[in-house]
Amino acid sequence: MTTTYVLNRGLMIMLLIICALWLIIPFTMAVLWSLVDPSQPWTPENLLPPAMSFYRWEFAWNNSLLQPALLNSYLLAPSAAALTLLLAMPTAFALGRYQFTGRELAKLLVLLPLVVPAFVTAIFFTSLLYQIGLAQYRFWAILFAHAILFLPFAIRILTVSFEQVRQDHIDAARDMGARPWARFRAAYWPALKPGVLASLLIVFIQSIEEFAIAYIVGQPGFVTIPTLLYSSLGQDFNRPNAAVLSLILAVPNVLLMLLLERFLKSANPALASGKG
Amino acid sequence: MAAISIIDLVMQFDGFTAVDHVSLDVGEGEFVTLLGPSGCGKTTLLNLISGFLQPTSGRIEIGGKDVVGVPPEARDTAICFQSYALFPHLSVQENLIFGLRQKGTPRTQRNARLEEIVGQVDLGAHLDKLPNQLSGGQQQRVALGRALAVRPFVILFDEPLSNLDAKLREQVRIEIRKIQRDFGLTAIYVTHDQAEALAMSDRIFIMNNGRLEQSGAPEEIYYAPRTRFVADFVGSANILDAEITEELSQGRWHVVTPIGPLEIQSKSAPRAKSLPICWRPETAIAGKEGPNALTGTITHRAFQGHFTDLIVDLGGTSQRLQVLRNAEGEGDKVDFSIMPHDLIFLEPDG
Repeated sequence: MTTTYVLNRGLMIMLLIICALWLIIPFTMAVLWSLVDPSQPWTPENLLPPAMSFYRWEFAWNNSLLQPALLNSYLLAPSAAALTLLLAMPTAFALGRYQFTGRELAKLLVLLPLVVPAFVTAIFFTSLLYQIGLAQYRFWAILFAHAILFLPFAIRILTVSFEQVRQDHIDAARDMGARPWARFRAAYWPALKPGVLASLLIVFIQSIEEFAIAYIVGQPGFVTIPTLLYSSLGQDFNRPNAAVLSLILAVPNVLLMLLLERFLKSANPALASGKG
Repeated sequence: MAAISIIDLVMQFDGFTAVDHVSLDVGEGEFVTLLGPSGCGKTTLLNLISGFLQPTSGRIEIGGKDVVGVPPEARDTAICFQSYALFPHLSVQENLIFGLRQKGTPRTQRNARLEEIVGQVDLGAHLDKLPNQLSGGQQQRVALGRALAVRPFVILFDEPLSNLDAKLREQVRIEIRKIQRDFGLTAIYVTHDQAEALAMSDRIFIMNNGRLEQSGAPEEIYYAPRTRFVADFVGSANILDAEITEELSQGRWHVVTPIGPLEIQSKSAPRAKSLPICWRPETAIAGKEGPNALTGTITHRAFQGHFTDLIVDLGGTSQRLQVLRNAEGEGDKVDFSIMPHDLIFLEPDG
């Protein structure tokens, strides 16, 4: 009893330390850097920036490609999320609802693309986009690429969801005279909903943060937030500007992740049902 | 006219015959049970009737209409599932009227039906709850109510009580039977529990290896089992291999068995010279009476409350006796008798 208590406490403290190291310190640094006023540079001997203002934020908004980048990113991400969901559904249905030989292997193969480093996939995928002539339509090319690249996440999540649909619910709905749509609403949707939301959010976040393909296909001219961030860090190396951009990139994602956590935690009624 | 007619029905899965040339009729308002061990084909037969499976050959008629090829959603049947299969995200009320919604029943009629069903299954206090907030017995009643609400021509029960504890099971048995009678419903009830089948049914169909082994009223099945399988599966039975030596008079035979020579009185003649016979443990009479007086050694004694189970060693065989009162203990000798009319000829094996 007491040893588990001590262990729990110890793990709790470790979790807090990790949280601090991974989240609080980087975010605080980013916030502080984004507030540095150009009149006085933030030098190592000062704990806090000597002069703080929203100058960088206003500058980024008015004088950089931030506005088109925001527009592109926030158009791309939801489109990619929806497209990926559509593409993943049939495969997930097959993997989750049908028994066939090699099913476990197929599930594993679906995940395999995630093992390859993102940049490697990106380079070869873009060459494919050039070959099929899609690369000139930059938005559509990136959308297509994102939808394909993030399929493994969506298929994996939705496969689990489809596995949780209970055959006796489908049968009961049919037995009560339900037509396909009513059957879907009564038996499938309650079990699928958390997975669909999780899949949408994960692909959304992945797409917002994706750099390699957006950079290779989009350059020059088509910017997203990550490519803009890269240019302010890689080409100009302006740390305050980069801080502004990383906050714009990361804060909505953190909020979305919290939302996702809530969806996944909210009891799935299909799992909590009584007997069977 | 029979409510349900099944004519020479066969169901094969990849060379395995789950239902093997089964024919049966169920009358309107009748409560019949498909009884058998797991894998005997009873659930397959239920799925064929409800439409979830389509037969390899044969006909199924519901209300005089051939329904082979008709999908479950278009059949006038309702199943009370073993797992209940309640929709977990819908309230009890929504579960109950689910079928009526699918049919597009007008709201006023729906509400009237709901009220009636709620009274029948006694769920008035729980209408707004979700299924997982109910006890097992209450969930079972929702499942029953949901099936009743659509006023099916036939209600099908798929081992509906197997998830309930013993006490509750007996209570729900009575409730189901009462509701079935009140509504005049035709019911087909699948179970592997012989006690349930005996207690509830108008008629029992016993299935084994995909075939109908015997059908009849519970008393008939119990007192006149036709085969070794039926005798053994329904109730408990002492089964002996007998050799007929002599017909004593009209309806009386003399046989030799491992427990000694016995006299049998039977309305039906034996079908072979050597065949199995059986007797029920509770028909044993204490003391020596009549032509079949026997003496054995008690090897095991189990007090069961309203009777005592004795396992008696007799001629190298174990015979089971159920006696009301018994003073002897394990190792003691016991005298008992079997009346000639309590011995039953079974069909020859194979």
